[in-house]
Amino acid sequence: MRVLLVEDDPELVKQIAQALQAAGYSVDVATDGEEGQFLGETVPYDAVVLDLGLPKVDGLTMLGRWRHAGLGMPVLILTARERWSEKVSGFDAGADDYLTKPFHTEELLARLRALIRRSAGHTMPTLECGPIELDTRTGKTVLNGITVTLTAQELKVLDYLMHHQGKVISRTELTEHIYDQDFDRDSNTVEVFVGRLRKKLGHQYIVTIRGRGYRMSVPEGPEIDR
Amino acid sequence: MTSKSISLRLIGGSVLWVVFALVVTGVVLVGLFRSHVERAFDATLNIHMEELLALSGVDSKGKILLKRHPSDPQFVKPLSGWYWELRTGDGGPERSRSLWDQKLNLPENTPVDGQSTFAITGPRDEPLRVMTRIFTLPEGGKPISIVVAGPASDIENAVRDFTGTLVFALVLLGAGLIAAVFLQVRYGLWPLKHMRDVLADIRAGRATHMEGDFASEIEPLADELNALLNRNAEVVARARSQAGDLAHALKTPLAVLTNEADRIGGETGVAVLRQTTVMGEQIDRHLSRARAAGAHDVLGARANVGAVTDGLSRTLRRIYDGREIEISWADLRGLTFRGEHQDLEEMLGNLMDNACKWADARVLVNGYAASVPNTLVLEVQDDGPGIPEESMEDVLGRGRRLDETISGSGLGLAIVCDIAELYSGSLELGRSSHGGLSARLSLPMG
Repeated sequence: MRVLLVEDDPELVKQIAQALQAAGYSVDVATDGEEGQFLGETVPYDAVVLDLGLPKVDGLTMLGRWRHAGLGMPVLILTARERWSEKVSGFDAGADDYLTKPFHTEELLARLRALIRRSAGHTMPTLECGPIELDTRTGKTVLNGITVTLTAQELKVLDYLMHHQGKVISRTELTEHIYDQDFDRDSNTVEVFVGRLRKKLGHQYIVTIRGRGYRMSVPEGPEIDR
Repeated sequence: MTSKSISLRLIGGSVLWVVFALVVTGVVLVGLFRSHVERAFDATLNIHMEELLALSGVDSKGKILLKRHPSDPQFVKPLSGWYWELRTGDGGPERSRSLWDQKLNLPENTPVDGQSTFAITGPRDEPLRVMTRIFTLPEGGKPISIVVAGPASDIENAVRDFTGTLVFALVLLGAGLIAAVFLQVRYGLWPLKHMRDVLADIRAGRATHMEGDFASEIEPLADELNALLNRNAEVVARARSQAGDLAHALKTPLAVLTNEADRIGGETGVAVLRQTTVMGEQIDRHLSRARAAGAHDVLGARANVGAVTDGLSRTLRRIYDGREIEISWADLRGLTFRGEHQDLEEMLGNLMDNACKWADARVLVNGYAASVPNTLVLEVQDDGPGIPEESMEDVLGRGRRLDETISGSGLGLAIVCDIAELYSGSLELGRSSHGGLSARLSLPMG
């Protein structure tokens, strides 16, 4: 999952980015409103953590512009503005959640997970696909009741596919959502991760749709191309 | 109109002055009229006296006699009030037939020479005005004293008639003058009344500034007041903005410290975390107090309870999206809080948020005008576990949380209490008929 963090305090950026990366997210950082708005408009993020008091463009203005442009990614406002009038304005501008500073990293991660899950249409923190279970809180993956050990990159790929079960995900989309902007991308590595996941979890759950990408689902009919 | 009313002062002062002036005028006019009537009466007496003098003569023996009696029939009619006497030193006085067998009782100190006018009591005990004069006829003889008397009641009757007419006229004039004063005061003070109406509109939140045409005398006052209102709004906005900036300036470093303490863990981490939590709570509470303290007495500040409830319900539904909580509220659009929109939002937001945290499935918001005049009651109820009676006082205290498992600083109810007190309102907790907590907020109504 790829997250945009828009925050102007360098210390806090460092802390949150580390925490998000440790939780398996790919993180892009913008330290002012202008940069944040540009990234939000050009990169398909799974979620945005947005401060309100930003240089150049205020967070609420930026959020309003995104929503006006039809961008629907979940946005969590992370701000020192704790008044209810500010919360109402934040939600009315299109925010999906609102967390006030100071905050605990765990609470931020929990809310972000819930936000991403809800936006993908899931209600429970544990995602299931047949015998495969993924606990989004811990990253623990279980196949038929047995824990499967995955690398960080494999987990990112599985996490994205599990969140979007039944949908065809292109290699480009997958690459965009598992790497941050500073990473030297190579779509072939995605194939390598998918191959490893198939080996660990079973070939039938991640299906390759020729020329279009991958789809994760519980097999019902004849398999197309493994 | 109270005793401090300018209208009452002006009208009262004018009425006193008009009454005083009319009374003095009346007294002076009656005095002048009396003087005039007396002079006219004296002139009549004088005419009669001169007639008597002209009719007087001296016979061959040197005795003074009257050639004939005066022609006025009033001197013939018995006890008519009109009398004359002719007194000489040599014999009984000649007198008018109207005296019949009586004589005029002149006082002992009647002047013995010259002319004088005075009052005596007549034969019928009626007051008489008397004129006497001593003459010496050209034909010779002793000096004669001619006395002519007329009824003083004629003067009194004329004065009384005149006084009656005068009082009627002066009362009419007084009423007219007072009515004119009343109209003049009303008309003259109309710009002040207009200003008072505009101020009432501002107080009621129907206007933000003193708009309209004002009399040139009070226009500077309206301009100054507008400047004051602008300045007031600016100060409040700046105070809010500075409070927000301060929050941002303090809370971001606090967030860094909190996360660092989380990361460090152990005794040090826990100690730092405890302190950063206390600092955060203190900032929240004191900032909310500072914001409300700067704004709670802003002239004309009004907030529609319905609009605030709508916005908060919309927000809370999003915040508690994962839990199926039904937030319902009565139609509160007709209710207005006499205070800042943001402060009402802060109080109601904290109460509704608290209710949503603890509710099983339902949160109800109700509002109505209290039996106490100008008081608004807002009630937020939930169907959660509620709070034991003995703990209700405690939760309104400083950051007290009864259940640490529910997120939040525990400051919400204390902040509501603080802001309500700034508006001379109150927060009472009780048991809801739905099983949970009932929070009743009493506030000034707009």
